[in-house]
Amino acid sequence: MNKNYIFLAALLIILAGGLLFLPEKNNQVQENPENLMWDIAQPTRYVTTDQVAKMIIEKDPLFQLVDVRQNYDYEYFSLPGAYNVPIDSLLTEISDIILDTDDINTILYSDDDIKADQAWVIAKRMGYNNIYVMKGGLNCWIRTIIQPEAPPETAPITDLELYEFRKGASLFFTGAAISVDTDNKQGLKITRKKKETVAEGGC
Amino acid sequence: MDTVKNDNYIPKYINPYFGGVLLGILLLVTFYITGRGLGASGAVKSAVVTTVEKVAPKHAGDNAYYDKFISSDHSPMYNWLVFESIGMVLGGLISGVLFGRVKKLRIEHSPKITGRTRLIAAGIGGILFGIGSQLSRGCSSGAALSGTGAFSFGGLLVMVLMFGGGYLFAYFFRKLWI
Amino acid sequence: MDLINLNIMGPLIPLGHIATGWDFVIALLIGIAFGFILEASGFSSSRNITGVFYGYNFVVLRVFMTAVVVAMIGLLYFNYMGWIDLNLVFVLPTYLNSMIAGSLIMGLGFVLGGFCPGTSYTAIAIGKIDAIVFTAGLFLGIFIFSEAFPLIEGFYNGGNLGSITMGEMFGVSNQIVAFSFVIIALIAFYVTWLIEKKVRRKITPYKFE
Repeated sequence: MNKNYIFLAALLIILAGGLLFLPEKNNQVQENPENLMWDIAQPTRYVTTDQVAKMIIEKDPLFQLVDVRQNYDYEYFSLPGAYNVPIDSLLTEISDIILDTDDINTILYSDDDIKADQAWVIAKRMGYNNIYVMKGGLNCWIRTIIQPEAPPETAPITDLELYEFRKGASLFFTGAAISVDTDNKQGLKITRKKKETVAEGGC
Repeated sequence: MDTVKNDNYIPKYINPYFGGVLLGILLLVTFYITGRGLGASGAVKSAVVTTVEKVAPKHAGDNAYYDKFISSDHSPMYNWLVFESIGMVLGGLISGVLFGRVKKLRIEHSPKITGRTRLIAAGIGGILFGIGSQLSRGCSSGAALSGTGAFSFGGLLVMVLMFGGGYLFAYFFRKLWI
Repeated sequence: MDLINLNIMGPLIPLGHIATGWDFVIALLIGIAFGFILEASGFSSSRNITGVFYGYNFVVLRVFMTAVVVAMIGLLYFNYMGWIDLNLVFVLPTYLNSMIAGSLIMGLGFVLGGFCPGTSYTAIAIGKIDAIVFTAGLFLGIFIFSEAFPLIEGFYNGGNLGSITMGEMFGVSNQIVAFSFVIIALIAFYVTWLIEKKVRRKITPYKFE
């Protein structure tokens, strides 16, 4: 038995053993739950990333996403199915076709909500209806949907349910949708969220 | 029993443990970049889907299995695993050239059987492997290696049962190899 | 705790860090490395591969177990250091019925064919006709499966446990799984080393072509 092999075997055991003793990572960040009512009679400007994720996953026919950033940002990364209307093109004819809808809800988003808010004000002044803003923008999208943070175990049940939804959504959006059956019990648990009242979110 | 040592040619292989470490690092890098592991049978599947779609597009559309992989934008061959598999042939070629193993076309077989027997066995083995790999959602690289590497229980299952199955059946086909 | 701060967190492609055109270039490069490592380790010879079943050449076990163990340990350390988000790494879903059946069928195919898809590609590169025939068989096998799919669709989707990890299945942490694998691998390396020595004394050395 070669001495080198014994050395390597010992190294392997040390590396693997080291894993057993790594301390738990502690997450200091606490979530601040905001309660938003998704009430059609009194539309508020903001929708949460969770609501947007839900609409995409459920293929809700009554919404459209509009990315108001520059075209190169949109090409680099954007949400599935979104149109690109850069904020400085809001007054052109093409954006008019996209934005002028009475039955479809248009959700604007940008990296944060700064550009999207500005776009919303412009759109409202131009007389478009059913315009909303995704709160927190794509930064919040990454932090809540793609990489959701686990709430502490003492959090209320709604937080934990939200986290479960977000984990499922994360799988959906990062490509595992190809192999995960969405109508299977495991994974998304969307059916439980049909409660329709509380939608918590925020970054 | 032929005990003459065939020393005139012993191929140079790298140390298997070293090869394993390299492969493990490659697997890790692949996970880091793509979030998925390696794979091999997927490329042949793409080839099958592409062929069937070209030859009988309506039938391909009707069949639930082909349909999943047909997209209107691009050929099913435009797919990660296909490029990776092309790379594998190239990589094998580079290594073969480096170590002097690229030679004329030949059939490798035990001296106790004929080349023809070997080819028949290879063909049947390939067919079985093709069927099995689709059932298992991967072959040895995709399911067993990458699946287990990513801690999937399915990966472990495939790895254990594939090699276990091999051991089970090995006795009956020993004439092919030893 | 960030000992070393890698600003880019993996997995890169799902998190949008790589521009779209590049995926396939990366795939090609990874494939080249994969093919090279396999061929250099001796996987382009079907007789080397089936040696694991008969005890005269355990290269398959050595490379395979080492690779799995290195990847597992690597993933766990990367995850701990914040370099990769393990939740975004694809975990192969488990379909009990079809996987059990499929793996056994693959085992038989493995013994008969002496290759698996990946190794057959590298063997084709160095000119092995049996590998070409094997790959053709793969094509045919997948075709047969796809044609028969409507009949077995139920079976194919049966026993779906989802993307369950070994840790979840056995009720332990993945770190313990990795450590167990290391121990099992080391024991296997030692035992097979002894077996190989014994078997090789008895059989005809095979002539490489």
